Amino acid sequence: MKRLQIHTLTKDQKNNIILVMLVLLIFLLMTILSPRAFLRPANLKGMAVQFPEFGILSFGMMIAMISGGIDLSLVGIANLSSIVAAVVMLQMGDSVFSIVLGILAALLIGALCGVFNGFLIGYLKIPAMLVTLCGLQLYSGLGLAITKGPALTGLPEAYGEIANGSLIGEIPNTVLIFLVVAVAVAYLMRSTIYGSHVSFMGTNEVASKYSGINNLKVTMYTYIVSGLMGSIGGILISSHYNSAKSDYGKSYTLLTLLIVVLGGTDPSGGKGNVLGVSLAVIVLQMISSAFNILRVNSFVKTFVWGLILIGIMLISRIIDTREKQERRTQ
Amino acid sequence: MSTSFLRMESICKNFGGVKALQNVDFEVHAGEIHCLAGENGCGKSTLIKIISGAHQASSGSIFIEGEEERRLTPIGSIKKGIQVIYQDFAIFPNLSVAENIAMNSALMQGKKRMDWKAARAMALEAMAKIGAHMDPDMLVERLSVSNRQMVAICRAILNDAKLLILDEPTTALTSYEVSMLYEILRNLKAKGMAIVIVNHKLEEIYEIADRLTILRNGENVATGPLGEFSRSRFIHCMTGREIIDSLYEPEISAEPILEVQALGREGSFSDVSFTLNKGDVLGITGLLGSGRGEIGDALFGIYPADTGTIALHGKPITIKSIKDATRHHIGYVPEDRLTQGLFLTRSIMDNTVAASIEKYFVKGRLDEEKMDAVTWEWIKRIGCVASDSKAPIRTLSGGNAQKMVIAKWMNINPSVLILNGPTVGVDIGSKFDIHTILHEFAKAGVGVIIISDDLSELYYNCNKLLVMEGGRSSGLMDTKTLTEEGLASLLHGNALEK
Amino acid sequence: MRTQITKSLTTNEAIVVYTIVALSLAIGFINPAFREFSTAITLSRAMLVTLIFAVLEMMVIVSGGIDVSFPAIACFSSYATLRLILAFDIDSVFFFYAVAGVMGIAFGLVNAFLIAKMELPALIATLGVSSVANGATLAFLGTKEYSNIPEGIDQLSKTFLFSYTNSNGITFQMTSLILIPLVLLILAYVVLRHTMLGRGIYAIGGDRFAARIAGFNVTRIQYIIYMTAGFLAAVGGVTYTILMRQGSPQNLMGSEMMVIAAVVVGGTRITGGHGTVFGTLSGVLLIAIVQNNLIMVGVPTHFQSFVVGLIIVLGTGITSIRAKRVANSSKV
Repeated sequence: MKRLQIHTLTKDQKNNIILVMLVLLIFLLMTILSPRAFLRPANLKGMAVQFPEFGILSFGMMIAMISGGIDLSLVGIANLSSIVAAVVMLQMGDSVFSIVLGILAALLIGALCGVFNGFLIGYLKIPAMLVTLCGLQLYSGLGLAITKGPALTGLPEAYGEIANGSLIGEIPNTVLIFLVVAVAVAYLMRSTIYGSHVSFMGTNEVASKYSGINNLKVTMYTYIVSGLMGSIGGILISSHYNSAKSDYGKSYTLLTLLIVVLGGTDPSGGKGNVLGVSLAVIVLQMISSAFNILRVNSFVKTFVWGLILIGIMLISRIIDTREKQERRTQ
Repeated sequence: MSTSFLRMESICKNFGGVKALQNVDFEVHAGEIHCLAGENGCGKSTLIKIISGAHQASSGSIFIEGEEERRLTPIGSIKKGIQVIYQDFAIFPNLSVAENIAMNSALMQGKKRMDWKAARAMALEAMAKIGAHMDPDMLVERLSVSNRQMVAICRAILNDAKLLILDEPTTALTSYEVSMLYEILRNLKAKGMAIVIVNHKLEEIYEIADRLTILRNGENVATGPLGEFSRSRFIHCMTGREIIDSLYEPEISAEPILEVQALGREGSFSDVSFTLNKGDVLGITGLLGSGRGEIGDALFGIYPADTGTIALHGKPITIKSIKDATRHHIGYVPEDRLTQGLFLTRSIMDNTVAASIEKYFVKGRLDEEKMDAVTWEWIKRIGCVASDSKAPIRTLSGGNAQKMVIAKWMNINPSVLILNGPTVGVDIGSKFDIHTILHEFAKAGVGVIIISDDLSELYYNCNKLLVMEGGRSSGLMDTKTLTEEGLASLLHGNALEK
Repeated sequence: MRTQITKSLTTNEAIVVYTIVALSLAIGFINPAFREFSTAITLSRAMLVTLIFAVLEMMVIVSGGIDVSFPAIACFSSYATLRLILAFDIDSVFFFYAVAGVMGIAFGLVNAFLIAKMELPALIATLGVSSVANGATLAFLGTKEYSNIPEGIDQLSKTFLFSYTNSNGITFQMTSLILIPLVLLILAYVVLRHTMLGRGIYAIGGDRFAARIAGFNVTRIQYIIYMTAGFLAAVGGVTYTILMRQGSPQNLMGSEMMVIAAVVVGGTRITGGHGTVFGTLSGVLLIAIVQNNLIMVGVPTHFQSFVVGLIIVLGTGITSIRAKRVANSSKV
């Protein structure tokens, strides 16, 4: 019985294998087309600094989507928390203590935004899409109110090292942070009680309630975790530019949505895995830098992202209907 | 002799290799109420769908008012005066009563304009016909289930209906509403309409039907006037077996598991008391709205009770939320398996451990092997037919899936297990298995409460019974002192007087 | 009759109207300038394009869907058509609207295919289309802004219905373009309320399955909805270009948020099936008043975005809670 199961791959595994092949394909293609530019350390480093930003935001989106919701406010949370961190650091001066305090403030803001989202969604039962869409406006608006428009600059130099430096050898810190977060989220989703509860709730909210799962608590945790992902993403973005502003990373909302869907997360909830999302992050980063190297107009990216999103959804829909038909004829 | 409105001869319907209907003859006269009965999966709904034109028969012939219909389409069927009222009524909660009533006929006539005045007039006329009183401008989302059904009936009779088919019309109605519905149906019958009611509840069939057709495994096993059916013949036709049931008589034990005193919840039920001893299986019955389901909801903390006391193993406990209930190891198998009980797309294993996942969190991770092992243990113990614990649970039949919902709760080592309609939509074999295993659990010390409207299920499987009526309980009764007929009259006695 | 009146006094629309009245009184009290007739002219201008978008969004949401692609469609079709006009020197308002309209319908067709035929979630489908349209505009049509709108077309921005001079001698003029949303509102009211097509849109939003049983051609109606939405998006884009006397490839991007909020504040349920033209008009008006007058009552510019966000959260929250209360209320 066990042996049989190894041969029959789950849908997740199939999806992930396709993603790995995509990574290899793009890598091969680029090493052939433009080996110098693509394999140049500067390019690799550039990629490594960028993908963790939206990669971590994508984990937030993934968790919200597994729970049966969506989090469109992530970018707003990212900017608001980095702005608050910047204010704290500018007040406290240039010291390690000030940076730590700034980061803690950012995380706190992320969690608070999550509490707000979670309360409206879980307690007042307002649709997640509406809540987080409003949340985006609210958090960005608050950020704008604090900065009064221009970016907050003059952050401690050491803060910039978070995203731009490398503590261990040549590996950029951002990659390390991404790996740590990925492992933590994977652990949370796969190996904890919360992880099981959230995917039960995402599969069938009513059955989850009738199974004794506290949906309100699970929803609150979900948006707090996704809020924390937002603030970590915000820290990386602001550290990368060494400044904070209310409208950084505007394109990331679409990008994160695209990534989680590409990574095999079910938009109707209940299913998703960190490995798939991580692979999707890498695929998109590679496409993105391939575009840069091939000197394709950067707006073409937006165009292609849209096409990929629609394409992926269409393909999985067609596969689904085909499977359903096969089941019916059996 | 009344005239035949619809006559179907040797109807067969195959889905792939499955024979859903085999040589079924079915005839409905104008001015009669005809009950179509049968267990779940007997082919009732397939037959209805053929009449309504949603499915085409594989072979056989259909005559409507003596004329043969070669190809019946949904529109064609409506044009012949056939109207089906489905269980969910297929009405629009966001639209007004008038619009709901008038919409179908406007669409049928291919109208492009919405005529509000005409819609109101039509609605009032239809309501007058059946004696219903509703504000035509009210949105349907604000109506009770029974009034929604009235809207559906109004809509159906507008289109010159000659045959009205109602699919399980009483499942969601209170006893008073059932009697109102029957009044309306008798009026329509008197006006010469043919009415088919799909039902499987014996008591209700005896109250309303003129004639009866029973299907079993896709075959017509009996048709005839109600008078030809004795109780035992009816059950024999339905199930295909003689009544061999014996009463459940456990060893008498004085060890109480659950003691409930004067439990009540405003607007739902009041003053409900009972004691569940070791070995007892308690049955709670009553019509919809009598408070039977609400007692289960209260004990599981969904809509907690606001008065009364509950004691578990002699210690008083309070249940104010689902969390309280699960903390005290109270399990609840809900009424609607598909939406409330199952995680359809998840594996059998996931479904089995859904309520007890905490048990498998060992040393900072979830022990998947243990979960799998326990799933297999339950699959074997509860007699579920499944070949792969990782397969989605929706691949199981209704009976097997229900067994796993029970296993989900047994896996928390419950002190009390409440089952609301545990064998609805379950085949006879699985039904028997479920009852057997519930008795086993009861003997092992689990307090079992079965909430059901299936009287024979309760009669033969519970040793204590509670009949609810309008939120009040009859008091605890010993099954041995009752007959099944006596139970039925207790349940329906008062409803008929109104 | 009496219950009819009390009923109509407690609807969502009525509550929005009360809020508008209260807010206007408050602003008028703090800043007398608000009390002048010129406010009506300024507000009309501010609401003009938003109203066009709000009508299309309301229709889509009522049918149980959502459309976040209209700003991108509006930008693409108006910008692409403007470039055609400039390249071939076609100075025709009709050409502007017609060609852009056709492009809008084409995008709407894609939305409809994805949502009605392939049954993708509307949010994700339209987000994808939005990205494609926006990317295509910027990548293939360019990023340049054009203010050299041909004379004949530009003339439209200078035709006024009437003008009004206030006590300080400043003249305010009511643009004739306001007729577009006005006609649209009336059309939308008639179609949604008095045609079977319109009732079909409500029916689909109420219960898709029941709509099919009742005999509506659900897929066809969805095609009509999204194609109309695409067309109206293009109309909005062209109107905006003429009104602003400038063609830009992306200045409408991001407006979906405010439009959806206005529609929901106006009593349209985000879950579908409920919504009125009048409610939408009042929702847009409420948000326009807030947006345009925060400065007047002394809210600093950089706080505006936040305050508007807050009002949206409150407005949508109240609407959702009221909807939930109806669902949980005792039935008759």
